Amino acid sequence: MAEVVVADAAASDRFGLTWQPALAAGILANLDRIDLVEVIAEEQFGASSRATRALETLAHQVPLLVHGVALGPASTAPVDVRRLDKLARLVERLEPVFWSEHLAWVRAGDIEIGHLAAAPRTAATIDATAANLSRAASIVGSRPMVENIATLMDPPASDRSEVEWISSVMTASGCDLLLDLHNVHANSLNFDFDQVEYLDRLDRERIGAIHIAGGCWIESPGDERRERRYLDDHLHDVPDPVYDLLVEVGARVRRPLTVLLERDGRFPPMRHLLWQLERARAALAEGRLRAQRCGQGRAQRNGDPGPDRTKVCDES
Amino acid sequence: MSPEFETFLARLYTDAPLRARFLAGPREEAERQGLTVEECVALERIDRVGLELSARSFAHKRTLKASSRRARSWWNSVRAAVWRRPRH
Repeated sequence: MAEVVVADAAASDRFGLTWQPALAAGILANLDRIDLVEVIAEEQFGASSRATRALETLAHQVPLLVHGVALGPASTAPVDVRRLDKLARLVERLEPVFWSEHLAWVRAGDIEIGHLAAAPRTAATIDATAANLSRAASIVGSRPMVENIATLMDPPASDRSEVEWISSVMTASGCDLLLDLHNVHANSLNFDFDQVEYLDRLDRERIGAIHIAGGCWIESPGDERRERRYLDDHLHDVPDPVYDLLVEVGARVRRPLTVLLERDGRFPPMRHLLWQLERARAALAEGRLRAQRCGQGRAQRNGDPGPDRTKVCDES
Repeated sequence: MSPEFETFLARLYTDAPLRARFLAGPREEAERQGLTVEECVALERIDRVGLELSARSFAHKRTLKASSRRARSWWNSVRAAVWRRPRH
């Protein structure tokens, strides 16, 4: 029965894009190839009533997801209730399939960092993050999916690995994971770890959605000993290792997945973005197929009359 | 991470003169901020390349956000002016 479960999941996998005004016409013209659209929450907070109505109209045509980028729950400070109220109103209005936020901190007091910073990976930040996510869930009305972030710096004062910290936050908060494969790829390049091992250390049944994106190498300033780091910038095409990792996800995760392509600028023609989405479909399907074959092989070897619903393919 | 440590990290990311002072003498600067011994030790071992690149990347993001806010405010004022114009 395991192959039936995998086949069911494959049939329910959904693929979409992040909403960008520059892509609006292309998205609306291709809704037959786009299963859902992700909306950045903070971009809607100050939107005109016309833009808001347009989004509500879009919500009638395609399922939406709401994605937060500035809540900063991975902080010792409580998350801002006013932001949560705005988020709650947006979620109520758009009725997304789910909402999500990053496992990051973005400000300290009145200092706005400007983007997502990795919190020191300690027991204290696990507890604080879980408390913030619980507060968010109670105000918004549902738990967010939480996303792993890319970082250029190993956060100081950390006493555990990124994957350990994320797993502990998931356990403490009860939130499922929006696994950003490009962020895993970027961090594996910057901090030299094996991305498939990283995947194997996550609770695979708690992975509910996937982000894919692109990035580029940047160099440290100064003339001496220039060092490179890989930046997740959402301005480049999805690199091949991310599709490879998506195959690995498909081989391991049994539940249906939502896969989203993030592109924030330097937009290529829409057909090129759709082609990347098709590559993602093919990669996830390849992984699902591998899991299915693995389940059939195990059943034949054991002489089982029927496959086992409780087992997951571990032979990939 | 204490709130003080978090605030100091945020300042390191956003305040270039402080960052330069810190990189010249991490322990001294961290102690000057009244951080705990453990926090000072952690900051002494900070990933210096990562800190500089992160600070640069965050500064770029702040600039983008500020210009996007300016553009939005300019567009809103144009729209408001057109809306207020008497119609004949």
